[in-house]
Amino acid sequence: MPAAAIEFQNVTKVYRRMFREEQVTALSCVSFEAGAGEVCAFLGPNGAGKTTSIGLLMGFHFADSGEIRVLGCTPGDVRAKEKIGFLPENFAFYKYLTAPKLLRFHLALAGNRSAEAAARIPELLAKVRLAGYEEMKIGKYSRGMVQRLGLAQAFLGDPQLLILDEPTSGLDPAGRKEILELLLALKAQGKTVFLSSHILPEVEQICDRIVIIDRGRLLRAGRLQEMLSTGDRVELVADRITEEIEQAAAACGAVVERGPHGVRIVLDAARKREMAEALWNGGCDVVSINPVKSSLEEVFLKVVEHGEGGA
Amino acid sequence: MKVRAIALNTFAGFLRNKLIVLFLAVFVGILLLFLTPLLAMKAMSGPAAAQMESPVLTLVGALMTMISGFGSLLAAWSAADTVADEMKSGTILAVMARPVRRWEFLLGKYLGVQLLMAVYVLFMFGFSYLLTWIGGERIQTTPWVLIAYPLVRYAIYSAISMFLVTMMHPVMAFGLVLVTSILTFMVSPGARPPAFLPGPLRAIVYTLLPSTELLSESRFLTITQTSLEKITWDVHAITLSYGLDYALVCFLLAVWSFRRRSLSRD
Repeated sequence: MPAAAIEFQNVTKVYRRMFREEQVTALSCVSFEAGAGEVCAFLGPNGAGKTTSIGLLMGFHFADSGEIRVLGCTPGDVRAKEKIGFLPENFAFYKYLTAPKLLRFHLALAGNRSAEAAARIPELLAKVRLAGYEEMKIGKYSRGMVQRLGLAQAFLGDPQLLILDEPTSGLDPAGRKEILELLLALKAQGKTVFLSSHILPEVEQICDRIVIIDRGRLLRAGRLQEMLSTGDRVELVADRITEEIEQAAAACGAVVERGPHGVRIVLDAARKREMAEALWNGGCDVVSINPVKSSLEEVFLKVVEHGEGGA
Repeated sequence: MKVRAIALNTFAGFLRNKLIVLFLAVFVGILLLFLTPLLAMKAMSGPAAAQMESPVLTLVGALMTMISGFGSLLAAWSAADTVADEMKSGTILAVMARPVRRWEFLLGKYLGVQLLMAVYVLFMFGFSYLLTWIGGERIQTTPWVLIAYPLVRYAIYSAISMFLVTMMHPVMAFGLVLVTSILTFMVSPGARPPAFLPGPLRAIVYTLLPSTELLSESRFLTITQTSLEKITWDVHAITLSYGLDYALVCFLLAVWSFRRRSLSRD
């Protein structure tokens, strides 16, 4: 793996109520890494601890134990924050500002006085499809427009690391596609992207690494390709199938689907030879045999349902 | 640059804060109502006018005290609200994601409040002169005293409020500042009744709490030359330094308390 841009080592975070016994463990001994130049998806059901983890990463909260490093610094260190673009979940803005004023305010906060950076603001707004709304107060923006503005401010100043909490939330399908294309362009530029999302098919298109947590525990972390190739199922395509073979296949747990280009049979890898021979003996022609790759959604659901652990 | 940007943005936020604008509007309305008897008095002439001089002076004094007292409440509320609102709305997250240190954020917020209070003091200053002019009198005090003293007093109240809001709900913080200011009056040497607390305890509380009586511009806000209190420069310097030092200590306590504060929305 490339040098880690983000490191979590046995991080535990417990929320305690003042004057009450009640406490909630948001994170329990969570460890994972995201390499520089990678797009890493941080996945988990609602309440899994994703936003808490991102808050710890940004220095908004403090871990009870464990160690976190962001670009080699401790969370909240201004040297790291200079290189980070951040989009929080449900981004909130000063409603009385306009988009260019907000971006100029953020440039001032970044200590960036260059005229070049200020001149790039219209370009950035055009990139997130907000050109033409420069005079409108942010308070009058729709949810999707606010989200796009949030992305524009995260992209401001050409950050090395992007931390995005639900970046496509509130966007229409066309908007989501555009954001994914923007993220792919950033990936091509060698930027590190750490994002949380519930829209797994989109995540699958752009991510190199996946981290799955649930109820504050790390369930799985690793490269996307390794996670998707399960290796225990195969897909066998034949030109036709007899009723007798279909019944036998169904009896041993295979899934048979008829399509315009033949019959697709998905079954355990251990039974592929037996099935192929049965098809040949029955006078059917086997067109192809390929290992089945699970979708990220399937892997995610399986991992979360089984509460699988380990990295 | 960062602190300046936060301060100016905070000030801009105040000008659009509906609650603050509403309070100011109600307050201006009350002031205009009080102006009526003054204007009526101005219209009188002869013995009737001379007879009204004393009540007018009392009214002018009461109005000025009211404006000044309202400023303290405004300073405390705006300081508590500006920090709490950033956390409640979540706008603080985008700000703190930038290379801004926590103390820089707090200092920007504090300076934004002081900017608001400076505008308020200038308004108060102008209104005081207007009132005395309508009442047919003239303020004898040096103008800078009427600006510097309330500014320092408001700096103290806003710093206390900012410290408290780093630990509790803004309404609670505001309430505590209110209690503090009432307690300050009750334990001051000239308070009535004098035996509010046992002597030594009263002295301790008086020492710990900010002496707003000492920093009150009403000490100098004299309309008649006969009651004008003569104070030398060194006394002014020491009194104002005391106030600024108190505000600084409270602000540093706020910075200390805020450094490990979770920036969550609740």
